[in-house]
Amino acid sequence: MSKVIQHGVRSTEPMLLVVQVGNAARSAFGNYSHSRRCDVSGRRFFSVTCALFGRGPPSRIEKKTVDIPGLERVTYADRMHYVPGLAKPVFPDWRRDWHDPHHYRGPKNEEMKLHKANPCYVFNQRTKILEGVRQALWLTKSKLIQGLPEHILSLAEDPANQIEDQGKRVQQAIRHSCFWDTTAIRPKRDRFCPVLLRDLLHLCGTLQLKHTSLSKSILAENYRVAALWNQESDVFQVRGLIGMLLNIMTPLPEVIQSGEVLATENHTLETFCPISPTIDLQSTYVYDQKNDTGFRDGYPYPHAHTLFFIETEDSAAKFKPEQLRAKMIMFAFGNALARAKSLYGEHPQVLEQPVVVQSIATDGRLFQFIVLQLNTTDLGPDTGVKNLIWMDQDQLLYDYAKCRPLIKKKAVTMAKH
Amino acid sequence: MALSALARALGSLSLSASSNMAQGVRPAHLLSQTVKQSTELCRYSSLPCSRLLLTVRKTSFCFGAQQQPWRGILTSAALCQNSTRWKQRTKYTIRPIGKKKTGGRDHTGKIRTHGIGGGHKQRYRMVDFQRLNFEAGKESEFFEEKVMEVRYDPCRSADIALVAGGSRKRWIIATENMQAGDVIKTSRTIGRMAVSANEGDSYPLGALPIGSLINNLEIYPGKGAQYVRAAGTCGVLLRKVNGTAIVQLPSKRQIQVLETCMATVGRVSNVDHNKRIIGKAGRNRWLGIRPSSGLWQRKGGWAGRKIKPIPPMKSYVNLPSAAAAAGTTTS
Repeated sequence: MSKVIQHGVRSTEPMLLVVQVGNAARSAFGNYSHSRRCDVSGRRFFSVTCALFGRGPPSRIEKKTVDIPGLERVTYADRMHYVPGLAKPVFPDWRRDWHDPHHYRGPKNEEMKLHKANPCYVFNQRTKILEGVRQALWLTKSKLIQGLPEHILSLAEDPANQIEDQGKRVQQAIRHSCFWDTTAIRPKRDRFCPVLLRDLLHLCGTLQLKHTSLSKSILAENYRVAALWNQESDVFQVRGLIGMLLNIMTPLPEVIQSGEVLATENHTLETFCPISPTIDLQSTYVYDQKNDTGFRDGYPYPHAHTLFFIETEDSAAKFKPEQLRAKMIMFAFGNALARAKSLYGEHPQVLEQPVVVQSIATDGRLFQFIVLQLNTTDLGPDTGVKNLIWMDQDQLLYDYAKCRPLIKKKAVTMAKH
Repeated sequence: MALSALARALGSLSLSASSNMAQGVRPAHLLSQTVKQSTELCRYSSLPCSRLLLTVRKTSFCFGAQQQPWRGILTSAALCQNSTRWKQRTKYTIRPIGKKKTGGRDHTGKIRTHGIGGGHKQRYRMVDFQRLNFEAGKESEFFEEKVMEVRYDPCRSADIALVAGGSRKRWIIATENMQAGDVIKTSRTIGRMAVSANEGDSYPLGALPIGSLINNLEIYPGKGAQYVRAAGTCGVLLRKVNGTAIVQLPSKRQIQVLETCMATVGRVSNVDHNKRIIGKAGRNRWLGIRPSSGLWQRKGGWAGRKIKPIPPMKSYVNLPSAAAAAGTTTS
């Protein structure tokens, strides 16, 4: 038995007794002696070289300062150094008297000017909603139709509308983006995807010689859209910085006439119990209620024609095709709703002249196409006229585009296959 | 870091003495700013830092302005290698969190538990063991959730399932036959009749039929599951006696808990976990298990298989002594 000399021990506390275990056990357990457990925090052991006790980090029990009114606490503030026995002084909160942007604490949510009592569920450009297209259909009160509308397909099939040497020129566009843009063997997605999209858009632009109405369009990048609506007593918003938008002077013609639009009243929206439709949406109490197409009044190209989305992430943050389609639907809807509210007012109503917006999304290889027709801005109740969405999903532009240099007889050849 | 803290503190001192009284020099505010920064640095560490209390009086106006309060400054920084900040997150998230390995070392830096070290990097997924966790403001008698995916968890032997219900998602311990797309129910009512429970559902013990296999057992109501969480394990509900329930744990020990404690029905997932063969020493090293000491030691009375009777039933219920005795005598 050996006694450990302790410092700072008060007389009322028990002394610790150390039981020496045999050498074999000591080597097995690494100098760990068994002892009766007592509270050993805050003790220092000078007589041994290693810490035999103290099972955990010393617990910091902060003594509560009791404020007795009338009794002044004697602190060591005047002495300017720690004095054992005197109380710890409490200094007033210090605030910097100049604005330092690196150390700025913003106001709390409740103190912000735009704070509201009810939360708003925001869909932004990074939102990946759990149920994908089903949830987007509920949020936009839409009915889904697989396949693009017939008149668009007939336009594409018509040889008069096709570019000369279309197949060859599209293949050249693919080769440009994948092989010729860099000297790297396999360019990254954020390199070849925008190049491919711009080449294809350029090819479509060459049709302006035949159809002059196509020239009345403009491509806008990095604009912010904002759309707000109430649905089933919740407030929803679509906000975000979108990739590319093709704007035109005259609005797109409606796909389906009003007679068939009224027939959509019979369609019931698909719910996905037990999951709520607000899942994965950003919930915020500080929001601005505004509807904004992203362009000011008097802009010569006010109507949105097609939205282009490029998916360039390669990691886990990548949008899967299902999430990408949901994002397309939501932003096309946001643009259409903002346009409709600016044309026909904020009051929820069934639109006489539906607003049509198209959208294309790609990750470099897979293409998704959507045509959205906004028939109504009355999204509050579950019943009534629904909006329509035509979707063409997961279309491969090419099977693969690989290029690997082959070295044969000390000559490098690019084997494209 | 300590040197920079000290340099910053000393550099912000204004050297103007009382000779500058005529100009009316402002006291050095920057000193207190750096002091606050360094105190905040030290607040994040668990070890105490050396505290140097600077006895510098701030310069004052000659017109008799009051002295600014002084504050201590810190001249050393605490070690950040063994900080446990990664596990002090309070807000729940389904995102995996980077985990720091300790190697069996404690806060002093010495090995406290041998045989731990190395192994594949792991990310910790915050598992919600409190099955009866209502969403904020949506309390009800029962709620349902849908299983989105069942996946491997590197931090435990069982698999975990991502379930979504209402507007939130959380990780829970998966049961044996749980698959993506299943709908599981969590209820807190205890009816007169026992519920015919499906696997994966969670009920209070008082609502379950006797003889049902349970896992993720709470021993104090509302505290969260602490027992029967390992792969392939299950407890058995033996008896229900006036407000308490007696459960047999996988070690054959019996415990008595309140009947309002929640438990999930079924066996824990990854049932064949104990049948796996490690195969080689390297696989153990991948799991973070270091080899034991090679020194031959004469084994004493502590070694060898022991066949002992099962310890008596443990009661986690504070009942008046008569009722407790009535519950335990018949075990």
